[in-house]
Amino acid sequence: MHLSANLKATLRRRMAAWARRRQGDDALPVTVTARRVYILPTRGGFAFAALTFVMLLAGLNYSNSIALLITFLLAGFGMIAMHLTHRNLVGVSLKAVASADAFVGEHGRLLLTIESAADTARLGLDCEVEGSARSAVNVPARGSARADVSLTLTRRGRLTVDRIKISTAFPFGLFRAWTYAHLRASVLAWPVPRGRREAPPEISSGGSATAVHRVGDEEWAGLREFRSGDSPRQVAWGAYARGRGLLVKTYQSPAAHQRMFDLATLPGELEQRLEQLSAWIVAAHARGERYGLKLGEHSLSPGSGNEHRERCLTGLALHGSGEPW
Amino acid sequence: MNTLARSHIAATLVFSASVLLLAGKAPPWCLAIAMLAAAWRLMVASGRLTVPKVRVGARFVLGAVTAALVVAVALSFRTLNGLAAGSALLLVMGALKLLEARSRRDDGIVIAVALFLLLAATLATQSLASLPLYLVVVWGACAAIAIVSDQGGALAPRAAMRLAARALAMAIPLAVACFLFFPRFGGQFWAFQRGEQAASGLSDEMSPGSISRLAIEYDPAFRVRFEGNPPPRSALYFRGPVLNDFDGFTWRRARSKLYVGSQIVMEGEPLRYRVTLEPTNQPWPYTLDTLSAVPQRDMFMAPSDRQLSTSTRITGVLSYDAVSYLRTRTVSPLTALGRRHETTLPVDRNPRARALALQLRAQSTNDADFARRVLAWFRDNGLRYSLEPGTTSLDSVDSTLFDNKLGFCGHFASAYATMMRAAGIPARVVTGYLGGEWNPLGSYFIVRQSDAHAWNEVWLDDTGWTRIDPTAVVAPERLGSGIFDLMSDSLPATSSFLHNNPFLFRLQQAWDGANNWWRERVVEFDTRSQLNLLRKLGIESPDWHHLGWAFAAGLLAWIAWVSLALRRGVARVKPDRIGRAWLRATRKLARVASARAAAEGPMDYARRIGGARPDLADRVLSLASRYAKLRYGREASHRDIDDFEREVRNFAV
Repeated sequence: MHLSANLKATLRRRMAAWARRRQGDDALPVTVTARRVYILPTRGGFAFAALTFVMLLAGLNYSNSIALLITFLLAGFGMIAMHLTHRNLVGVSLKAVASADAFVGEHGRLLLTIESAADTARLGLDCEVEGSARSAVNVPARGSARADVSLTLTRRGRLTVDRIKISTAFPFGLFRAWTYAHLRASVLAWPVPRGRREAPPEISSGGSATAVHRVGDEEWAGLREFRSGDSPRQVAWGAYARGRGLLVKTYQSPAAHQRMFDLATLPGELEQRLEQLSAWIVAAHARGERYGLKLGEHSLSPGSGNEHRERCLTGLALHGSGEPW
Repeated sequence: MNTLARSHIAATLVFSASVLLLAGKAPPWCLAIAMLAAAWRLMVASGRLTVPKVRVGARFVLGAVTAALVVAVALSFRTLNGLAAGSALLLVMGALKLLEARSRRDDGIVIAVALFLLLAATLATQSLASLPLYLVVVWGACAAIAIVSDQGGALAPRAAMRLAARALAMAIPLAVACFLFFPRFGGQFWAFQRGEQAASGLSDEMSPGSISRLAIEYDPAFRVRFEGNPPPRSALYFRGPVLNDFDGFTWRRARSKLYVGSQIVMEGEPLRYRVTLEPTNQPWPYTLDTLSAVPQRDMFMAPSDRQLSTSTRITGVLSYDAVSYLRTRTVSPLTALGRRHETTLPVDRNPRARALALQLRAQSTNDADFARRVLAWFRDNGLRYSLEPGTTSLDSVDSTLFDNKLGFCGHFASAYATMMRAAGIPARVVTGYLGGEWNPLGSYFIVRQSDAHAWNEVWLDDTGWTRIDPTAVVAPERLGSGIFDLMSDSLPATSSFLHNNPFLFRLQQAWDGANNWWRERVVEFDTRSQLNLLRKLGIESPDWHHLGWAFAAGLLAWIAWVSLALRRGVARVKPDRIGRAWLRATRKLARVASARAAAEGPMDYARRIGGARPDLADRVLSLASRYAKLRYGREASHRDIDDFEREVRNFAV
């Protein structure tokens, strides 16, 4: 069992390497042509073939025409099943690959947009990358659907896959046809938010932060000119009515609460320190605070919001990898 | 309903359908167990019952039940080998599998068992009527395969049925090609016992009344198709068991009474025909009188009376081609041993008949004259033909001729042979069938049990063994028509109704014709038929090689057809016209200026070319921007692409 599993894995790897040499790298969009579809019987398919063979022997042995007729019908059915499975894959295309990052220990996701230009729906397409489970998706005729491939993240950093496998055993499960899209895709694994240290104290850098959004107990900071992108809600309509033009109300935090998280201030092992930073970022984000991050010579000036949080976490994930962020 | 439950239900339904196919062929208790298990499985899968929690003990219980059922099957059949025992075993094993089926894989096994049950059913019955049932089970099994493998719930059951129907329909041409050309290896790889089948027909004994019992049965005994024109009905004497040993009541075939037969010469035109015999459980094939040679390898002809027999009892449908002649001539005398065997009578039986025979012989000039005189006596002494001639005493011939004066063919044949033998003339009783019902739809004769008949063969020195039918003088109409036309009143109501209602009769003939076609063209299709087919296709001396080539050609043609037929559903991947046109343009430019670098975008490239060749700058920039717009802009229309292609074509440097 173990041996055969190993053998299988080896064969699968060889097959993938061969396909890569044969096909070369791909660029989006990848349209599946017949030349890049591989197909083999499944276990059920082999069982079906064995059953048909036994029926054939019985039919020949007893010179039983009806048994033979039924056997031949089933054999033909098996071959049609092969064609149908193959056809189910040919002509679909992988349009886009997006990723959703996550903390170590959680599932990162690759979101694959698969499109079918054909008049028939493509059902039961399974998408997977190395180390992921299969994610099934049904693509409607002349439409697209999104497969959600989740990857278990075990190590901080960038998890890169260079091959996306789309396969199908639809409709009869007797054969599995598959194709490889040789694309690079990656998911970031952020360090787990973990650590009990006190966050560094808030610092007030006087009045630098003016915000149009009213977050908490901010104070009135006056009007400024409207810039495109400002929400109509912030417009001082009263002033506008008085003919003073479009002005926007601004507020300022009384003491401009913000924190600076610095890797250098933390003692101990690097991963634990990063995890502590991650915990601080998560907590500060949850409280709606403003925070900045300093990792060696890289630093992110204080900010808030989802985008800021993800930039900080990306910095933590990539720290030490030499990859720019 | 979740897809796993759906998978269980689909597999179980297919299983129950194939269990029903075995109804009447497997023991009822096996069928009951299988159907109960299927019902339980359906209830559980549809949520009407909850599955009992499997404890450790349950496995052992299941194991014990399995062992008990195997023993039960073995005891009831006294073997586990053979078709009936095998199917019974498969039934109970399938039922047990249903009890423990949890996964999709188990469902796959259940479907496989269902297909094996189907195989068992086809081995038991190959009738035309059962074909639709078999096909329905095949269809259901294929749909169930789809449902079982569909984990994502993408297929509704109805869609699965449609898909399976379509796949099977596309497989039909291959099935036909394989059927016609797939080499059938003759002989058996393994053998099994066939169960005894209920069969009726003539045996190698004849007592008063044994034939009249048969004569009220409407079942077909065999069918005969003649090559060319069939002979008249009155010549259709199909010879069966020849009886030569008489104890005064019963005629028997004595195997010990063998002797070297006399030589005969066939005269006139040969009649070639094919007989398809229903199972009889007897070793006697029927052929038209007089058979010229043994039709098949496993048949034998007794030298003394040309009685044809098979090496084993005929338990299945048997077909054979035979050649017979209506006229023969004997060229050698009867041996002394033969004369003694064929003139033996019990000395103390039927005294009146024997006395009458001696009296008539004394008045006759020779044997042939005596034979005619006895026939005349039969005709002139008030003997009547009847299905119910009443009982006879142990001196059955005396009862028939002098007391009852009623008889069926068997009575008259027995009486006639007795009188011949009493006068020292060799005579014997031949049983078989006379006549048959012409089926115009299939151009063949159906010979029914009701056509059973008995007649005599008498040795006359001039002609050798001569067929004499005493019934023909008592009831001459019997020669031209069957029992059902002669005496429909004394027959069972259902049979005579079927026979006399013109619509039902026609319908019944059509159905019989279809069945016969099915049997001759499909069920009995074998290597010989395959080679004949090749001969018809123009191959002069076909052999295995031709068969193999024809099979390969058929297979390839089918694969080509399937690939083409299925491609229609696939959207052709649109050839990238925009990219190809741009490639042509860059090739033209590479000739006069420089090639595009791999990483160079169209606009950068155009600007670079424009810098090097200011004369081309405008046109190149126009091409590049057009390409960029088509490629990266909103969806390009065919007209835009046409224009772009034209521009590239006209772009001359």
